[in-house]
Amino acid sequence: MNRTVERHRNILDFALSSLLRRKGKNLSLWVVYTIVVFLIAAIVFYTHALKREAALVLQGAPDMVVQKMVAGRQDLVPVAYAGKIAALRGVSSVRPRCWGYYFDPISGANYTLVASESPSPAPGAVDIGSGVARVLRVGRGDLLPIRSSSGAPMLLTVRKVLPCVSELVAADLIVMSEGDLRDLFRIPRDLATDLAVTVANSDELATLAVKISQRFPDSRPILKSEILRTYDSIFDWRGGMMVVVLAVAVLSFVIFAWDKATGLSAEERKEIGILKSVGWETGDVLLLKFWEGAVISLSAFLCGVVLAYFQVFFLSASLFEPALKGWAVLYPRFRLVPEVDPYQLVVLFFLTVVPYTIATIVPSWRAATVDPDAAMRS
Amino acid sequence: MKRALRFLGAWSLLTVSVALAVSPSPPAPPANAKCPVCGMFVAKFPKWVGVIRFGDSSYAWFDGTKDLFTYLLDPAKHDPAGKRMDIAAVYVKDYYTLGTIDGRSAFYVFGSDVLGPMGKELVPFAKKDDAEGFLRDHRGKKVLRFDEITRTTLKAME
Repeated sequence: MNRTVERHRNILDFALSSLLRRKGKNLSLWVVYTIVVFLIAAIVFYTHALKREAALVLQGAPDMVVQKMVAGRQDLVPVAYAGKIAALRGVSSVRPRCWGYYFDPISGANYTLVASESPSPAPGAVDIGSGVARVLRVGRGDLLPIRSSSGAPMLLTVRKVLPCVSELVAADLIVMSEGDLRDLFRIPRDLATDLAVTVANSDELATLAVKISQRFPDSRPILKSEILRTYDSIFDWRGGMMVVVLAVAVLSFVIFAWDKATGLSAEERKEIGILKSVGWETGDVLLLKFWEGAVISLSAFLCGVVLAYFQVFFLSASLFEPALKGWAVLYPRFRLVPEVDPYQLVVLFFLTVVPYTIATIVPSWRAATVDPDAAMRS
Repeated sequence: MKRALRFLGAWSLLTVSVALAVSPSPPAPPANAKCPVCGMFVAKFPKWVGVIRFGDSSYAWFDGTKDLFTYLLDPAKHDPAGKRMDIAAVYVKDYYTLGTIDGRSAFYVFGSDVLGPMGKELVPFAKKDDAEGFLRDHRGKKVLRFDEITRTTLKAME
């Protein structure tokens, strides 16, 4: 046991000094390796964290949303539908919701206006998201002018700015009383934007959705699972687009690594010949090459992953911003919750470290089986 | 005033404890509780939990009504030692509300297309209307009462 450890230690020692002898080649290899691992890991972390964030946000969403459709477009839904849907078996509660979007021509930003039931701001008062406060430079107690559908301006007092914790959902939010929102958009009392349906047993959701669309043929029930799936596919698509770009980077790395690792120079061949002639066995030579490859790929892998973690969770993926951001004026400022899926790390490991190590061993094995005399003469 | 308040407090405590003694709702299944019939972990299927309370205030949890009745109709087979034979109360979950209800007065829909963790199930309801509505929605065959469920019923669901 002790002898085996001692043997490995000696060979590792030799491998390290042999790596140091070819500083330039190995350092450039290490740098490229680290960059590729960094890019892939950063994208994997980023999309995973975004998906998780979306799932957290949607946790509080209603089990089902019922909209009314007119000519294929969403329309205001009659509040009377709520009572009829609530009477269906399995429905716990139905809540008509009033909300809408408002484009502010001064700042050029779009806001989400929501009527809140509890705790509702008093008529004439609003709670605003921190993004709105940032763009309009308003704070608590200031007046917020909004142009209503009739053209008359409405002056609303800011009651409070919503806390930064909810930045991802609430950045562009303006919460107001239902009366104010109805006046602003001129929504009649007997209509609402949509209906939020709560169902106790989620197994019954599909049956209820069928019943609702049969009972109200002009309605469109949307399940929470469908919303989640859409979010998932959006982030997957974005991740997918980036992965396609990265595939090219990975491929060029593979060619680079293959070239560097497999093409043994005449000098290296000679070195193997000398090692064998002074008494090294083929197994020892292979172990030496294995350690050389492992040192480079393991250190590059660790460095790349740590850098990616830092970039995504501490710098909020600032490198990807130009590629992932849209065209809006108002963006939420938030920091992703650090979380790494061990499964993804393992996949990344097997995609990079393992193939590289194998790529270094095979040519050395071929060189090591050649007669040492021939290797030294060539 | 103080005395009156104290009396009120004591009285409300008393009524609460009396209410608890009359219908103690069963505790949620512990994470390691296994169904005595099929051996599956019950806590993973909270929508389908069935509970038996025994005379000694111990409980057995089941991952479905079918397993609950399999036990009830032949307790000796699943408890050969015969330690827990006196059944004090039976609880099941109403399919629509997911609230815990008395199993002896519940209505069970047989032959529906809704599957539980153990496949075909007897789906429990507190109200007859709900059971009949469910029967129509999910192509059920019969609404059964507690006493009408026999080994033949269970055999038909295998």
